[in-house]
Amino acid sequence: MKARKKTKKNEPDFLILITTTALVFLGIIMVYSASWPEGTVRFENGAYFATRHIFWAIVGFIGMMVMMNIDYTIWKRFSPYIYILAIVLGLLIWSPMGMELKGARRWLNFGFTTFMPSDAIKLGSIIFFASFLANKKDRVRNFFHGAIPAFFYMGLSAVLIYLQKDLGTTIVMAGTMGAMFFVAGMHLSLIAVFGSLGYIFFKYAISSEGNEYRMARVLMFRDPFQDRLGDGWQLVQSLYALGSGGILGVGLGQSRQKFFYIPESYNDFIFSIIGEELGLVGAVFILLLYTILIYRGVITAINAKDLFGCYLASGITALIAIQSFVNIAVVTSSIPATGITLPLISFGGTSLVFVMAGIGILLNISRYSIKKDRSVIDEGNN
Amino acid sequence: MRKISKSTKRRLKFTLFLVTLIVFFLTYRLVKIQIIDGESLKTGALQQWTKSIDIKTDRGIIYDTKGRKLAVNVTAFTLWATPSDIKNPEEVARELSSIIDMGYDEVYLKLTKDVHVEKIKQWITREVADEIREKNFRGISIVDDNKRYYPFGSFASYILGFTDIDNNGLYGIERAYDKYLTGIPGTWVKATDAANRQLPYDGEKVFEPDNGKSVVLTVDETIQYFAEVAATEALINNQAKSVSIIVMDPKTGDILAMANKPDYNPNTPRESLDPETNIQWSQLPLEERQNRWYEMWRNYAINDIYEPGSTFKIVTAAATLEEATSNLNSTYYCNGFIRDIPGVVLRCASWFKPHGQQDFSEAFANSCNVAFVNMAREVGKEKMLEYIKAFGFGELTGVDLPGEQRGIIPTNAQSIREVNLATLSYGHGIAVTPIQMINAISVVANGGNLMTPRFAKSILDENNRIIENFDPELKRQVISEATAKELLGMLEKAVIEGTGRKAYVPGYRVGGKTGTAQKIIDGRYVAGKYISSFGGVAPVDDPKISVLVIVDEPTGIYYGGTVAGPYAQMLIENTLNYMEIPRKYTQEELENISEVVVVPDVTGLRIFEAGGIITDLGLKYTTEYEIFTNQSNVLDQYPAAGSELTKGSIVDLYLDYGESNPNLSTEIEEGN
Repeated sequence: MKARKKTKKNEPDFLILITTTALVFLGIIMVYSASWPEGTVRFENGAYFATRHIFWAIVGFIGMMVMMNIDYTIWKRFSPYIYILAIVLGLLIWSPMGMELKGARRWLNFGFTTFMPSDAIKLGSIIFFASFLANKKDRVRNFFHGAIPAFFYMGLSAVLIYLQKDLGTTIVMAGTMGAMFFVAGMHLSLIAVFGSLGYIFFKYAISSEGNEYRMARVLMFRDPFQDRLGDGWQLVQSLYALGSGGILGVGLGQSRQKFFYIPESYNDFIFSIIGEELGLVGAVFILLLYTILIYRGVITAINAKDLFGCYLASGITALIAIQSFVNIAVVTSSIPATGITLPLISFGGTSLVFVMAGIGILLNISRYSIKKDRSVIDEGNN
Repeated sequence: MRKISKSTKRRLKFTLFLVTLIVFFLTYRLVKIQIIDGESLKTGALQQWTKSIDIKTDRGIIYDTKGRKLAVNVTAFTLWATPSDIKNPEEVARELSSIIDMGYDEVYLKLTKDVHVEKIKQWITREVADEIREKNFRGISIVDDNKRYYPFGSFASYILGFTDIDNNGLYGIERAYDKYLTGIPGTWVKATDAANRQLPYDGEKVFEPDNGKSVVLTVDETIQYFAEVAATEALINNQAKSVSIIVMDPKTGDILAMANKPDYNPNTPRESLDPETNIQWSQLPLEERQNRWYEMWRNYAINDIYEPGSTFKIVTAAATLEEATSNLNSTYYCNGFIRDIPGVVLRCASWFKPHGQQDFSEAFANSCNVAFVNMAREVGKEKMLEYIKAFGFGELTGVDLPGEQRGIIPTNAQSIREVNLATLSYGHGIAVTPIQMINAISVVANGGNLMTPRFAKSILDENNRIIENFDPELKRQVISEATAKELLGMLEKAVIEGTGRKAYVPGYRVGGKTGTAQKIIDGRYVAGKYISSFGGVAPVDDPKISVLVIVDEPTGIYYGGTVAGPYAQMLIENTLNYMEIPRKYTQEELENISEVVVVPDVTGLRIFEAGGIITDLGLKYTTEYEIFTNQSNVLDQYPAAGSELTKGSIVDLYLDYGESNPNLSTEIEEGN
């Protein structure tokens, strides 16, 4: 099954490649625009963040190209080691290498660069979980052989991230692995179990001692204006940005909200700046690019030549889908606020490199597609 | 190789369906936010970016007639808060409250108020402003401001008035010419980032302020100074309740000076100049305190009415001469009393020594009530009322200060009863404002014209170019020039020989009329409370100034000539000197200057005897005391016996009560 024999190798999925490239380029432009004020004020260099972002984008491209050309089946063989490595990295934040920023321990300091282990955990978990699910085959439906270990791994990954006080990423992680499990054939009755477990966890996360701030945030999204100077500040500012963008936007580089009204506007809330500068047209265009990317990711999963490829593609696609949708939902104040970056666009080296590497893997899977560009749903051609 | 199950493919397709739903939902959210709610969000965003700062105008300067600054601006600092920009009001409030010396709670309240901007404190010192600027609090700004400043303190306070904390004129010229002085404030609209730094685009829009215009007064600082000094001395020496002095250029109606005492300092208008009063006030409830303030700010000379007494005889005389019901050769006989009005007996001030036969100008100089009652009777009540009105009584003079009163005059001729006509003739039973009175006196001085009194003559722009001139305004001709001239002569005679002797200035021909009236409080005459006045014109041959000195509630002696005359004299002499009007001494004056007599001792003598001795020596005397009889004795005299005086000087005689005369009604009062 994981034969490395030279089966017919197709061209990688062109739409995935082109949308990814488009998103990364748009990301560079928007990071430059959005980070300009902070770069100027803090570092007297408007391009401070942009140059770093470009560097990571180049690294990401190289990573993507490399991954695209490595037969994805190799990941299955190494999946346990990859997972262990990811877990170790995750635990390293409690070592002296760990770095605390803004009250959260989420970074590792390698001296030359900082590194967010949660990005590694995400990709590592997806690879390992895909391998696990592929190995289980039909026993996935079995409660003891399928559900119990699946929950264990999902819980392990989620708790690892949750320990870093990163609720948003925890949800993304759990959602991604849940989606993979669902695709692999999870018994539907488990959805109820899943749901209630998630609910209990969520309830704990927002109401346990020391995390009261999350509760306020959870309630805030419905009407951020009720506390526009306090907990509602970011959301109000995000809505102001989007609202002042209108249909066509105020023009590239012309955002006012990026001038410290939206904190770290080049990061979690970069979509607001896109909406402000490029308007509804620009925002919907970005959303469309993600949609195409996700569609093609799902198609890649459907057409994957084996189960591992299918689950891996599902996982990577789910990660991108959940993260981008949650991010956009947060900035449009559609769901409770949580700190999640917009994949491929937000500033952040590790995240960009890992997501692009993941897409590289996705592209590699697409090269082994069984049905060549012909699916019921897919009417595009490449 | 394990094939992908149908179920997996189905589930993957199901996720595509989910993705589609989510994308539609997010698109709907974007449309809702960016288009449906777009406008209101845009407005909210615009509000937070745009900081609109009022650019205060520089308030115009108030100049005296010679260009000396009476009201100016000084830079002061105002502390503002933009509550929406303040992230941690507790900390900012704590720091600020200690710097500006204000309660923490008060500051905190202001910092958290639900307004766009809130003033924390006005007029902080430069040091405090610098200290706060150094701290660089977000949402706290300091604005340079102009504060009104009156360099001479209480000087001319009733003319200038004052402004409120926002530089709006509240009283006086500041109020009357507020629209010129204020100008039109500008606005500075700029877009800022969250830390209040200017955004790099949009630029800023500055709507330039139209600075306030300056006002040039007709008031002359030097003459005002003379008036202030005279008023202060009159107040202190008479232990009076208040003193009011007006100096006017009779030809134009220009007010050259106007002083009221006691006064206040417009720099601190809510504090009395008397520290003890301040302590008392501080214990009063706010409303009570406000009433005291309003009282203190009243410009007596314009806002209050009084009964003019004998100064009003000018009007009676004018009517008589103008209507030619008598002429200068007519004679009047005074036996001391008017007894032909049923129910009342009116008496002359000199009833104890009736004036006897006197011609017109003698009657005027003597201020003989009996003669004036007869004059009014000759003129008739219709004509009398006509002249009262023509002289501007009962109507606003149109002076350019706020709060002017009309005074009280008979509404029509029918309402004037016989007794009313009689008392009107010598200025009783009528209420006028000081400004009306001096305006009427100026009619005589300028050849018969009633002018509109004015304080401002022109408006200057920022570069001191005249942009508006106010011309003297003639209201109407009241009497002929000939009549005016005759009256002037009589006024001079009253000063040389009559009741106005204390206003006599050697070398200057001064004309004038004294007046004394019992005060009316709550509609009743009050015993022992008088308003004494002197209205004068100088020099009589070519009048340059008319003056009115009013002393309210003098203590002790209250006759206008004594109480107000000396201060009018002082004021006239100083002013004419300052105006460089040359003195022209008469032959008699030249002689008198050298001729010195020794004051005799007349204490203990009966009033007739004392008077006789003094006049024989070429001196004059005043026996101006109300309730005395021919049995009265001289209690004291001033100057004391043995002093040397030039001929023509006056000796004050202080009399005892003698025997009271029960026949006399005190409800009708007369002047001297």
